[in-house]
Amino acid sequence: MISLNERQADALSELINMSFSLTAAKLSDLSGQRLRLDPPAIASHPIIGLGTELDVFSSGEVVSVHQAFSGTFSGDAILCLNSEGALKLSNLLVEENLPSPQLDISAGEILTEIGNMLLSACLGVFGNLLQVHVSFSVPVLHRSSFEQFLDLLTVSGTEMRHAIVIKSSFAIHENGPKGRIAIVLSLNSLEQLIQAVDQWDTEFQERVLKS
Amino acid sequence: MKAKILIVDDSSLSRRIVRGILESAGHDVTEASDGIAAIDSYAVEKPDLVLLDLVMGGMGGLEVLQKLRESDSEARVIVATADIQSSTREMAAQAGSRAFLNKPIRREELLTAVNSSLEGLDL
Repeated sequence: MISLNERQADALSELINMSFSLTAAKLSDLSGQRLRLDPPAIASHPIIGLGTELDVFSSGEVVSVHQAFSGTFSGDAILCLNSEGALKLSNLLVEENLPSPQLDISAGEILTEIGNMLLSACLGVFGNLLQVHVSFSVPVLHRSSFEQFLDLLTVSGTEMRHAIVIKSSFAIHENGPKGRIAIVLSLNSLEQLIQAVDQWDTEFQERVLKS
Repeated sequence: MKAKILIVDDSSLSRRIVRGILESAGHDVTEASDGIAAIDSYAVEKPDLVLLDLVMGGMGGLEVLQKLRESDSEARVIVATADIQSSTREMAAQAGSRAFLNKPIRREELLTAVNSSLEGLDL
């Protein structure tokens, strides 16, 4: 089984953290509220058993934004939250004094765009790192039970057998929603990504030693 | 300086955010939610500037940019996208965009890009 070792996960985590921090800072500016994305924890997993990694959502509805990506490196990027967390996040960007009491069409559209920003920031790191162009599809919002959500992941295609799972929390006020981003991808794409992370890490260490 | 600006984005959230910033700076704003509507609106409204999203259903932003520049070689377009890839920035520049902004968009960077892109126009 191919997986990220501790050093590779740490390097990738740092790259994504930088991109997330910038996105969170801009969302804070827009919302006028302090928003922080906690430093992500990253690991790779076979798609079978992924449910355990995402079991924070095992009760109730799972709200997920899916963004397929293609190119040399291809797969499906997914932001998932529970329904309460999804509503909190979408209400960040609704007009003043008009927070939605439920995840309606308008709130869903806001959440889709927030998902687009976060997933694109994350995938953009991969594209820049691999020095390949990644093309994005239009993001799509799904609302489903945990079991249906897992089905959505596992029917992505026979080659999609691995996932990079990025665990992070949105810190809004004192008690922010927990979110997960899963990048479902083929074994080949995962191997390419790991090689690129190793190369970036080596070059980074060399630059540090020279400076 | 008051310009006529067309916002092209399939997200109403993004359109609302950008409209608010541009109108507060005194600009006139029109909107299109997809590529076809953008091309139609450009032909009718003749905006001074277009703010264009890239990832949209139907016709993508890069194709819209190419078609606008084919129909009007002087078309002034700023690309605004969540895509942070340097390769995307290069593709947008090659297609003729005047500036490239990453979403979420900050007020200062948007107005700086707008003012810069409108330079030379008699407004």
